[in-house]
Amino acid sequence: MSVHLTAEDVERFADGEAEERTIEQHLPECSRCATAVLAVMQMKRAIHEDVPRYSAPAALRARVMQATPTRTTASWWLAAAAIIAIAVASAVLVRSRNAAMHELVDLHTTLLASANPVDVISTDRHTVKPWFEGRVPFAVPIPDLSATPFRLIGGRVVFWRRQPGAYLLLGKAAHRVSLFIFPDDVVPRSIAAPREVTLEVWRSNGLAYVVVADIPPADLAPLRKAFGAPI
Amino acid sequence: MNERSHGASFEEMALPLFDALYNYARWLTGNLTEAEDLVQETYLKGLKGFGSFTPGTNFRAWMYRILRNTFLTSRTGLRAVPPISIDEEPELLEHMTDEETPEWHLLQRSSGEALRRAIEGLSLPFREVLLLCDVEEMSYKEIAETLSIPVGTVTSRLMRARQKVRNALRGMK
Repeated sequence: MSVHLTAEDVERFADGEAEERTIEQHLPECSRCATAVLAVMQMKRAIHEDVPRYSAPAALRARVMQATPTRTTASWWLAAAAIIAIAVASAVLVRSRNAAMHELVDLHTTLLASANPVDVISTDRHTVKPWFEGRVPFAVPIPDLSATPFRLIGGRVVFWRRQPGAYLLLGKAAHRVSLFIFPDDVVPRSIAAPREVTLEVWRSNGLAYVVVADIPPADLAPLRKAFGAPI
Repeated sequence: MNERSHGASFEEMALPLFDALYNYARWLTGNLTEAEDLVQETYLKGLKGFGSFTPGTNFRAWMYRILRNTFLTSRTGLRAVPPISIDEEPELLEHMTDEETPEWHLLQRSSGEALRRAIEGLSLPFREVLLLCDVEEMSYKEIAETLSIPVGTVTSRLMRARQKVRNALRGMK
């Protein structure tokens, strides 16, 4: 059994400062540490996205430009600023994709290890589907899984990127599979593939489905088909 | 002198940082006029001292350091610095939780406004480390360089800053 992360490891990992493979290997199998990492990542995202950023007033910019006489033209530095802004935005985008992916994998690990992974426990889709009504802002499609190797175990509401979504816990033989369903625009267009678990995304009818599981991607095909993934 | 013989000019390097430096100044001072004065002074000092900047080293950290040092010697800055070293406070960290915690819900349901107030309520050493890391997305090394503190101190301050924000959000519920 691997040793729990220290509080500092948790911060470093969430900040993208820890390169150790041992941490990456430990997280999928430890809900305690995954929960701690998830909490830090969610705070980082909240601060990055929701804390106001103040833009410099144009008059101040003009004043400073005047005070720092330049031999280059204004249009040159505007172009340079634009190039840097694009580079920074791309870097932020890549980082936020990775963070989003880690958050979902951590959520999956945390929920599976939890004593109460689901709030509605039922193998009957006619019980689980109406349970979500009024709890998430969309109708949760739950198809008949009897022709697939998957079975429904239950569901709950989860929050990700500050949006409520549906979480379905599914079983496939001894494996447990997490299926997250969110409105299409909540899930980034591309999510970096993790190494430790299988993570697949598909979109259908205005909803995005993210499945996290410890089974090979090929085995997920019947599930994708049942939930309307484009072929 | 505003141009290095073997590198870009001060303007070429400094002007793209304008908005970010202004944002940092607003968070440090909490005041519009003071932030404007601070940015203006930073650029003047940067231009004047550009001859001492070593090309190839981190220019962004260099500019942030000038801004911060200028702030620390201002009246507001002098008041903002804690009288004792915060890194030696014998403060116990909260243990990591074993089970599903209400923290996700706490954060997901806290408004941006609540978060802003929680960060504003932090003392300067915690506020700035959190802003540099999560808003400006600096690496630990860059933060350490900007604040002239060891990387290990960056980690521990960040950990405590986030814990304080969590506690503040809980208190607002």
